[in-house]
Amino acid sequence: MGYFLFRRTLGFVLTLITVSVVVFAVMNVLPGDPALTILGIEATDEALDNLRRQLGLNDPVHVRYLNWVGGALTGDFGTSHSFRVPVSELIVERLPLTVSLAVSGMVLTIILALTLGIGAAANHGKPGDWGVMFIAQIGIAVPSFWLSILLVLLFAVTLQWLPPGGFPGWSDPVGALRSLVLPTAALALVQGAVLARVTRSSALEVMRLDYVRTARATGFSRQRVLWRHVLPNAMVPIVTIVGLQFASLVTGTIVIENVFYLPGLGRLIFQSISNRDLPTVQALVMLFAAIVVTVNFIVDVLYVLIDPRLKGRN
Amino acid sequence: MQLDRVSVAFGAAVALREACLQIEPGTRLGIVGESGCGKSMLGLCLMGMIPDAGKVSGSIRLNGKELAGAPEHVWRRHRARDVAMIFQEPMAALNPLKRIGDTVMEPLEVHEGLSRSAARARALALFDEVGIPDPDSRLRQYPHEISGGQRQRVLIALALACNPSLLVADEPTTALDANVALRIIDLLVRLSETRNMALVFISHDLAAVARATQQIAVMYGGDIVERGPTAQVLGAPRHPYTIGLLGARPGLDNRGRGPDGRRKRLVTIPGTVPPLFELPAGCRFSGRCTREIASCALQRPQPLALGAGQVAACHLLGQAHAGAGAS
Repeated sequence: MGYFLFRRTLGFVLTLITVSVVVFAVMNVLPGDPALTILGIEATDEALDNLRRQLGLNDPVHVRYLNWVGGALTGDFGTSHSFRVPVSELIVERLPLTVSLAVSGMVLTIILALTLGIGAAANHGKPGDWGVMFIAQIGIAVPSFWLSILLVLLFAVTLQWLPPGGFPGWSDPVGALRSLVLPTAALALVQGAVLARVTRSSALEVMRLDYVRTARATGFSRQRVLWRHVLPNAMVPIVTIVGLQFASLVTGTIVIENVFYLPGLGRLIFQSISNRDLPTVQALVMLFAAIVVTVNFIVDVLYVLIDPRLKGRN
Repeated sequence: MQLDRVSVAFGAAVALREACLQIEPGTRLGIVGESGCGKSMLGLCLMGMIPDAGKVSGSIRLNGKELAGAPEHVWRRHRARDVAMIFQEPMAALNPLKRIGDTVMEPLEVHEGLSRSAARARALALFDEVGIPDPDSRLRQYPHEISGGQRQRVLIALALACNPSLLVADEPTTALDANVALRIIDLLVRLSETRNMALVFISHDLAAVARATQQIAVMYGGDIVERGPTAQVLGAPRHPYTIGLLGARPGLDNRGRGPDGRRKRLVTIPGTVPPLFELPAGCRFSGRCTREIASCALQRPQPLALGAGQVAACHLLGQAHAGAGAS
């Protein structure tokens, strides 16, 4: 276990370093001059040159990279060109919204997928199974932004139960939660459809195994056999997919926050790209990548917690 | 437990045909036959665990209560408490994610409502009873950390947890080393005696069945072809299939060279077991039987009492019987 954790941590750190190099490189070969963007085309050459020096744009590449990484490690991502405030301030302000959205989306995805997937497996080959798989197939085929629009039309425009978009801020908790319901559903329905299928096939695989027969022979109820014996053993593929899905949920917030007009990181990255706000974009891409890498790391550790047989290996 | 003309059919394939058996409390019954002869199906019948696609007919009575065709939730109340079962592959039959102690404690907590500590005490006693050394530290181990023989003992402890009056053991020793297998067999016999628990021992290993049981049923193609006291049936088999099965045993006396100087060969039954849906309508063994007569393939032989509790279903025996009666 100790060696396993050591190896995985090492891999985790190396991946983060690689990601930071790639992000930095991509941002630096992009066309466009930040100084020109900030000062506008009317600026004099002298002013532009001064600003470039001030921003460190004339330094050699490796110096700029190390400055950026060093700053990022201490929480200093530079100053946003378009908002004229520190990028870290922008992030801290918007992170809670995006994290709530991603986490609640993930939780709803897991609840939906496990209930439907296990239910479908338990009724294998019967109408319940077909029904769930049919709906899941539609869920997989539908893009989340389109589903968002449908949800808004139904629940906000026609029924007027929930707001169509916008965010009142955390000082109004009820309003904040209400405005998160539709975006969460839009994220979870699509991801849940994928995960339900994985859950079903993984559970079906486990249900054929001998120890499930032992559990039945011990007189346990169907529900107990399903949830206590089948599900834990079906968990490894499910956790793998959940890890991948969390990554797509985090990036999915970019689309969803724009559709629902939510002031989160997803919307911020969209605005920053439009404004060529290099420090902000760079920080956000790095942050999103770090979240994805971290989740994958957690998934790797979860495998070992789920299956004691993996503890001795590696 | 009493089985009266129990059949199991999967569509056109008949896996079990009109099986009649009586299992008295505390007795040990062996069921032998080749793979696919229906012996496991018979075992599953006793647990009500025939796959959904199988159709069960006939009568299965437990302490006088009719259970054939009973829904799952009725059967479930009898599993573990009245009838328990252990299976062939101890490697695969334990949940790999549960500590073996938790596995054995689960039915005690769920079915008997014991507290965790009471269940733990009972699990320790059970481990001790089935001969698992150092039960205290074993409780915390996972299945992959113990040997095949120990796993089978854990499964036996699990099966015994709720004090069943009948234990069905489906090939419990097939996957084990010979000496480990012997000890498991002796353990099952001892448990049956000390607990006055009936044992149904399903195996293709005649030596194991001879060691473990008092009664035996020989199966072929879904039929019970011969049954009776174990010593009687194995000592003086009457059905051609039983005779063939006993002849096909590799042993010390069919090694080396015979009196004619030729290398002795294992006597085998000619042909192979046909697939279930291609079995002959009459005697299932017709087509492979060396002493076949005209009626064999067409007409189903009825079980015939041969004295001393021995019963066999064969047309030849019927003829001999009828002939003896006439003279």
